[in-house]
This record gives sequence, C-alpha cells and structure tokens, in this order.
Amino acid sequence: MRGEHLLKIGVSGIRGVVGEFLTPGLACAFGQAFGTYVGPGRVVIGRDTRASGEMLQHAVTCGLLASGCEVIDVGVLPTPTIQIYVQASGARGGLAVTASHNPPEYNALKLFNRRGLFINSYERSELIDLYHQREFRHATNDEIGQVRAEYRTPKRLHFERVLAHVDVARIRRRRFRVALDAVNGAASLMACGFLREELGCELEAIHVDPSRPFPRIAEPRPDTLGELAALVRSCGCEVGFAQDPDADRLAVVDETGRVLDNDDVLALVIEAVLERRPGDVVVNLTTSSAIDVIARRYGRRVWRTPVGEANVVEQMLATGAAVGGEGSNGGVIFPAVHACRDSFTAMAFLLDRMAATGEPISRLTGRLPRFWRRFGTVTFEHGRLGAMMQALEETFPDTETDRSDGLKLIFDGAWVHVRASNTEPLVRLAAEADSPERLETLYGKVAGLLERV
Amino acid sequence: MAARSLRISHVGLRGVVGAGLTANHVIEFACAFGTLLAPRQAVVIGRDPRASGVMLREGVIAGLLATGHDVVDLGVVSTPVIQHAIRRLGAGGGVSIGASHNSAEWNALKFFGPGGIYLSTAEAGELLDIYHLRKFDLVAHDRIGRLRTEADAIDHYVGELAEHFDFERLRRFRVVVDCSNGTSSLILRRLEARFGLDLILINERLEGVRFAHEPSTSREIVALQLAPLVKPLAADAGFLFDVDSDRVALATEEGEPVSEEMVLPLLADHVLPKGPGKLVITNISSTALLEEVADRHGGKVIRVPVGRQAAIDALTSYRPEQVALVGEGTGAVMMREFRFVYDGIAAMLALLTMMAERGRKLSEILADYPRYSMLKAQLPLVSARVPELLMELQRDYGDGAITRVDGLRVDWPGRWFHVRVSQTEPVIRVICEQRGEPPLQLFEDLVERVRRLD
Repeated sequence: MRGEHLLKIGVSGIRGVVGEFLTPGLACAFGQAFGTYVGPGRVVIGRDTRASGEMLQHAVTCGLLASGCEVIDVGVLPTPTIQIYVQASGARGGLAVTASHNPPEYNALKLFNRRGLFINSYERSELIDLYHQREFRHATNDEIGQVRAEYRTPKRLHFERVLAHVDVARIRRRRFRVALDAVNGAASLMACGFLREELGCELEAIHVDPSRPFPRIAEPRPDTLGELAALVRSCGCEVGFAQDPDADRLAVVDETGRVLDNDDVLALVIEAVLERRPGDVVVNLTTSSAIDVIARRYGRRVWRTPVGEANVVEQMLATGAAVGGEGSNGGVIFPAVHACRDSFTAMAFLLDRMAATGEPISRLTGRLPRFWRRFGTVTFEHGRLGAMMQALEETFPDTETDRSDGLKLIFDGAWVHVRASNTEPLVRLAAEADSPERLETLYGKVAGLLERV
Repeated sequence: MAARSLRISHVGLRGVVGAGLTANHVIEFACAFGTLLAPRQAVVIGRDPRASGVMLREGVIAGLLATGHDVVDLGVVSTPVIQHAIRRLGAGGGVSIGASHNSAEWNALKFFGPGGIYLSTAEAGELLDIYHLRKFDLVAHDRIGRLRTEADAIDHYVGELAEHFDFERLRRFRVVVDCSNGTSSLILRRLEARFGLDLILINERLEGVRFAHEPSTSREIVALQLAPLVKPLAADAGFLFDVDSDRVALATEEGEPVSEEMVLPLLADHVLPKGPGKLVITNISSTALLEEVADRHGGKVIRVPVGRQAAIDALTSYRPEQVALVGEGTGAVMMREFRFVYDGIAAMLALLTMMAERGRKLSEILADYPRYSMLKAQLPLVSARVPELLMELQRDYGDGAITRVDGLRVDWPGRWFHVRVSQTEPVIRVICEQRGEPPLQLFEDLVERVRRLD
C-alpha cells in the first residue's frame, strides 16, 4: 500500500492508520482547529468501539478544551445517535471518533455542525485552512471549560425519535424472531435494547460485545455476513440485521438466509416510508432505478445527486424530501428523525412494513421492481480520465447524460455511471438494466471501451 | 522582555496556559514520557484543582495511551498521593499535573519513575531529548493502553501516614490550616474524620481560577490570612500548604508567622536524634542555622546547587540510611520514613509530633534557636553580563570561602551571601544571612552592584 493512503487530511476530514500515521498530536491539533472554528461553547464528542477510540477521544478533547470549548462526552455511541444529540443539545458542534466501515487499524473524525449535520464542503475547507495555518484559539486558565459525561440521554432521544414514526404496538404484537450482528461496534448494546425491549423482538444476537475487536470485515456485505445468514437459518429467524461499527449502515438478511442487495434494502425502506407519509425522494446517481418506479407509484419525485452522504443530505434539506439514501452503501436517511444515515430508522421501518403486510421479507423484496446491477473498477493513468469520458459519450451519441458526478448515460430501462475515485487512480463503473442479458452487453461494452482508451 | 510563559527543562514542562503552554506541548511531552518508560507499564496521573488541569489531563492520557501505557487517573489529588500510588500499584511511573506554588494561570507537568521517585538528571535529559526529536514510540491500534480511574488513592495514602504517626497523641492539638484552595484539604478532612484531629481549615474550597491568595509558602503569605486567626481560635499552631501540598509553612500559637527557612532546621532538630541518618541535604541558599542544629546532634549538612534536581541527584549518591532529611528553604522537605518524597502533610505531622514529644509550645521551641537574619532581593536579569558580575564579586569578596557550584556563594564566620540566576524566572537572586542582626550594609552593596549591570 502506498504510504500516503495511511493518512489523509483533506476536505473529508482526517482519517488514517493509528500509530505512526494518525497520531494523538494530529488529533489534538484537529480538535483545537475545530474548537476554534465553532467558537467557545459546548461540543459533543463520542466514538465507536475501535481500540484507538479512547485515546483519540482524549486527544481531541484536549484540543477542544485548549480552544475554550466545553466538552460533552457521550462515550461509545452510534454516529447517528451522536448527530441527533448534537442537534438536540444546542451544542456548537460535535465529533464522532470513528472510521465507520474501514478496517480496525484505521480511525477518523466525523465532524458535525450545530444541527448535527456533516459540516459542508465549504465549511470543511475553511476548517482545513485553519488547521494548516495553526491559527488556533488558545484559552487561558479562566476560559477553559469542563468535560461533562452524558451517557444516557442521547440513546433515549434517538429511540424516541425513531419509534414515533412506526406502529410500535403492531410490531411488538408480532414478536418477530430477529437475528443481529453488530460487529462488536458502537451499536452492540443499543441495538439489542432497541430490538428486544423497545420492539419486543425475540433476539438472536452475535458480536454484541463492545469490548472485543471486530470479528469480521467491518463493512456489512454479502461476503462478510456468512455467520449472520447461518444464524438466521439455524434459528428460524424472520429477518437478520447487520450494522457497521458506527451503525449508520444497515445490511439485511431475509428469512431464507440470503443477504439482500443494498439497493433493495433502500427501496424497501423508501417504500415503507412513502406508505406512511408524503414527500420527495433523494438518492445518488448510482442508486437503482427501482427507486424511480416506487416513487412513481406514490406520485413522488426523485432527485439525483452526486455520490456522498453530504450531497444527498444537502439536497434532501433543500427539497424538504421525506426519505433518501445511497443504495450502494446501505444508508437510509429519514430527516423526520434526523438527516443522517441511520440503521435504527431502517430496522424500525422494515419491521413496521413486515408487521403491516404480514409478509416475509423475501416476498416484499421479490415484489420490488426488478433490475440487474453490476459494479466494477478500471484503473487509469493520471491524465487519461478526460479522454475516457469523451470516448464514452461519443460511443453513445444522442443519449441522455448527467455530468454532475463523472458521467452517467441514461437509456430507457438501463444506465451506466462512471466516476473517478476520490482516493485512488481508478474509475468506478456501475451499470443497471432491466434484463441480465442487456446488463452484460452494456457493461461489457463500456468496460472494454474504458480499458482500450 | 516579557515574563517567561513557557519553561521546558529537566524539571518538566511549566508555563502560562494559552500564552505559553499549549495542548500540543502537553501531548508531545506525554508521548515523550511514554516513550521513555519501559513498554506497557501502567502510569498513574493526578492533578491539582486549576481549571486548565482538565485540558492537560486529556492530553497526558492521550499521549500515554498512544505509547501503549495503561493510565490510572486519581483525579484531583496532591503530588505525594500520586507518588504513593505509583509505589502501591507497582506502576512504571506517574505524572503530576499542577503548578504547585505558582499562580492560577500557570500549569505544569512533573514526571516520576517507578516507586514514585523523581527522575534523575540523566533520565530527565533523555526525556527532553525524546521530546525535542519527536521520535515517539506510538504503538499499533491493538496495543494502545486503557484508562481507568481510582477514587480511593487518598485513603491508601492516609493509611500509610497512620503507620508512621501516633495520631492518638496529636489529637490534643488544635490546628488552623490554610489550604490555599489546594489539594491538602482532601487529605486533612480524612485525617479529621478517621483520627479525630482538631483541624480548622480556611481556603478549603478547591478552586480552579481565583485562589484566595498567592499559593506560596512564604512568611508573607502566612501573615496574610492564617497567622491572625491562630490566637483568636486558641490553636496550637497554624500551617499553610501550597496547591499540591508538597510544601508547608507555619505560624506559632501566638499568631506569629514563622520564616519558611525554619521548617528544615526544625525538622532536622526533630529527626537527627532519632537516627540512623546523619546527613541533611539542602541547597546553598538555605539558612546557616541548619549547620548549627546539625552540629548539636552530630549531623552533617551537604549543600548542593539550588533546584530539586540537584537535591534528588545528591540523594541517590548516598545509602538511604545515611540521610536524615532533604529540603529547601521554601518549606519543601523529604523525610526518610516517607521514602524521600516532598510532602507538606508529613512535614506538618512531624512538627506536631515534635511539639508533643517535647511538651512545649511552638513559640518556645523556636525561641531555643539563635537568631539568624536573612535578606533577599530579586533583580532584573541581564544574562550576558552575569559571568562578569560573579567574577567581580569573587574578586572583591575574596577574603571569604568561595563556592561556585551555582552562581557565587561567599562564607565568613556567622555570615554569608549567595548571588545566582533563577531557574524559573528571569531574575538574579541575592541572599544574605547573618547570625544575629541583618547584614544590611553587605546586602545593600550587593544589590547596588547587581543593579549597576543594567
């Protein structure tokens, strides 16, 4: 691996391999830059269960205090829970010490504004400038604030907000048999309490010990959820849920033990939301056309944005959308709870939908508009990207295109989306079509073209 | 030149928070200390009540965890309690967060090795080298340390005090204590509850920002609030501690503030007859009464340069049983029974024991010593001309015995002076002492010569 990927300080914040690369000094300086940026006042900080989280939280807290902020320590919590609490507590901002689904040796800081939203790209570049210029506020002894622990309220608040939007009594009556794999992450204890106590499920839980390391690859994908799938089958569960270490993402296993496609999970939740309330839908360019079909059934509009949670959230807030997300990464965003990806909201809506219809999750999935998808990557040399995009557009003249994030070619019943990775010299290729044959033809043509350029 | 706001030296890291001492210094110093210590050893930390202590604590914890050490946080406790806990827990070392006798806007980190002992000059030098090189042993994510807190460290410490002092005997004394808003109150309230000592505390509240007075253990500060209370309250003595209670000062039952220089001779008089140690280690700025007291008991005074580091290094060059006492003229004293830790509370209890054993009032005990008069001044520093000044003084006062280990000290029978550059402030200190009346003319002459440097 090339050394520069071991530490990245940029517009997405600060992320790296803890030890020689992501050091306590860097985290402290970043904390002080953030505290300087939001100004003296309360700042909320929490973390996921990574072994380095405690150390980094103390380093960031040191920097926040040095800048004159008062610090609210919420301990080990899911990222969405922290975001909700930032907004509800009237803090100036917040941080989550988490590298989300990245491997355990990584850690990172997620940064939130006073509304508990990811700080936007303009704010991020101002913060990065502050960090680089080392223009920190240095509080004197009489300006230094305290650290206050707040371990209970955030969880309660999150549950209350989610449960207000589903029929809790109906779900409880069903006494669903549910399997859970929390990857020993930040939601380990909270998800057990949510499913068992709040929603009355009979729970079969694995990897819910926050003091232990991640037992599997942290990203919840079909190839990493074998244990959960086996558990669903052996215990006869009606559904299985898997979270990532900071519990913003959710993956779902149906009652047959099949891991659902993330786009299908998003489609199911969007369908469940639109069933209950009006409003538009926002998804990124790479998300399945199934969403358009579903929204059309409810007479709702779909807005498409560049890839990235912040882009989707910004568009949702601007349009007052009811629901949104990104199919590829298992993130469901429901602003009535909070404009962030939230696995708890997704679990609640899926169980609510199962309770309302009385149908198993496999049948609900089977009734979704059927599309076939394929994803891949193609490496390129620096400087060749533009030529690749031009060749692609010329190959498909008179086709509807969207250039807001790379190039998306939109056909009737199919599309291709090609975009460069932010971190590595490769292009990500996604294609979808209404038949497997059409998908293979389209994908093969585009991939071949990109490799030849 | 503005007053120095940051000082990085063998004694550790010290500065005015915000203006000089920043979060970055704290993190990097903690990483350096974590790198210096044997790998994977636990480290005990504690702090005084200064508001900035919380910020420093966070940085110290982060740096130690990142270098692979488990951290035991004792919270707000005195430095001697930290040193006691390091030994009790078999920890690899410790960090005391607190600026002791400095005013509230200062803070500092002091470092201890295994057993709670002070770092030697060689170790402190290595720590500085690591800090300056910034080559820290930051461990991989799965070897990062864990933090735990311990709430009963003071009780364990008080338990050890009980092994050395006969509290039954000390209960007869009524004592007024000025806690200087520092950590001594936490210990004293436990002594009161557990052993029924008759203590009246003032400035007891732990204070982060506004201390009731400068937390220095000088005669002037004793005179400020403590001394006037002793007689009206019918107390047998008054004691004053600095913020981290490693230093002590006192007032008599008559309400007379006692010079901070007297703590060491009093304790020497108390412990030398008990043996086995016959050596008293002190610096070359403290009172010559000490030699006179030591002579009475067949003891010997070893004088070293000013600053704790010199005393600590001197201490390690003797067997523990050879040494009776180590101390400064500031009221900071280490006793053998307490494994040579600067401990104001232990010093107070030893002085009360002395009063009990002798069955005499504090003022009566003090009246037994011949009078020594000391004059002190501090003048602005012009570093470049200091060597010239010292040469000139040595030439003009060449009829005395010359000591050049730290600035210049000249001794005549019953009289001496010491001129040196402070390690903590940008000043030159002038100290004269004479048995009997104050050496006014000598003092004025020295002050004039130093002032002419400008």
